[in-house]
Amino acid sequence: MNGIKTLADLKRKQEEVMSRMGQRNRGENPESLVQVKVAMATCGIASGAKEVMEYFMDELDRKEIDAVVTQTGCMGYCFAEPTVEITLPGREAIVFGYVDIRKAGEIIERYIGEGELLDGIIPQNYNTI
Amino acid sequence: MIDLAMHMMDIAQNSLRAGAKQIDIDLTESSRDHTLLFRVSDNGSGMSRETVEKLADPFFTTRTTRKAGLGIPFLKMTCEQADGRLTVSSEEGRGTVVEALYRTDHPDCLPPGDMAGYLVLLLRANPEVRFRFASRIDDAEFVLDSDELKEQGINLLHPQMPDAVRGYIRENLKEIGRKRPPYGFPYRLATQAPQTDNMQQTTERY
Repeated sequence: MNGIKTLADLKRKQEEVMSRMGQRNRGENPESLVQVKVAMATCGIASGAKEVMEYFMDELDRKEIDAVVTQTGCMGYCFAEPTVEITLPGREAIVFGYVDIRKAGEIIERYIGEGELLDGIIPQNYNTI
Repeated sequence: MIDLAMHMMDIAQNSLRAGAKQIDIDLTESSRDHTLLFRVSDNGSGMSRETVEKLADPFFTTRTTRKAGLGIPFLKMTCEQADGRLTVSSEEGRGTVVEALYRTDHPDCLPPGDMAGYLVLLLRANPEVRFRFASRIDDAEFVLDSDELKEQGINLLHPQMPDAVRGYIRENLKEIGRKRPPYGFPYRLATQAPQTDNMQQTTERY
């Protein structure tokens, strides 16, 4: 594939990457970062949360947005999986439902990027099943 | 759940929710016995005997956000469909061991799926947890230890590194996959081309 077969190869790759870009400064305190939580329980996995989570990680990296992407359990919105909870610094957490890769792109571009509210937000007082 | 990698993520998520700091994932295939043992053990909070007894009931869950819990019932279903069985043992305060046994000569044995992709997600999203993943086929073995990666200075938060680690895992799994006897179903499924060609390939091979 990419010719990496041993730990030594991996280490070499890491050194190569580090020398090329230099360590990016990551804010130490998570309050100042964008937090992305992807629901990764049975319901999420079955509806493709993996692809969405990989997309968030890669895309935020590429756009050099300081963010922590983590997985979480089911948030109770199984009908709307994959669901993603986004917390912008200093704002309340917002849960988006039915997030596919296209929607994820929109969220990164418009909500994380511009702070603009989008369709697909699950209201907090919404009754769970 | 259409492959083992999905189950792996699902069960590991249970471990994470139980506050585990170390999660061991083992896939052990034996070509002589035609078995595949999928095992996840953690040092999380564990469960009481009563909870363990109710685990396979899809309408049992400790959550208050919803009324069903399908992770373990699905795992039980997929391994029993392949003539295997599910064992869960747990001790409160010590941790939990989930073992699903599959028969690799059974047509319903699950394919491995994207192990590398899910592993990298787990490692990347939970840097404070130690993951040890081992895949064995007879005497061939591939072990990935997140502590060892850290010792070598490999940082998954660095752009491009997830791809490299995914490639590393895939390459090694492919390598030990060569030891799989060609008559087992996981072998056939794992060596198949991307999903779109599945139907065509299956008809050719059987």
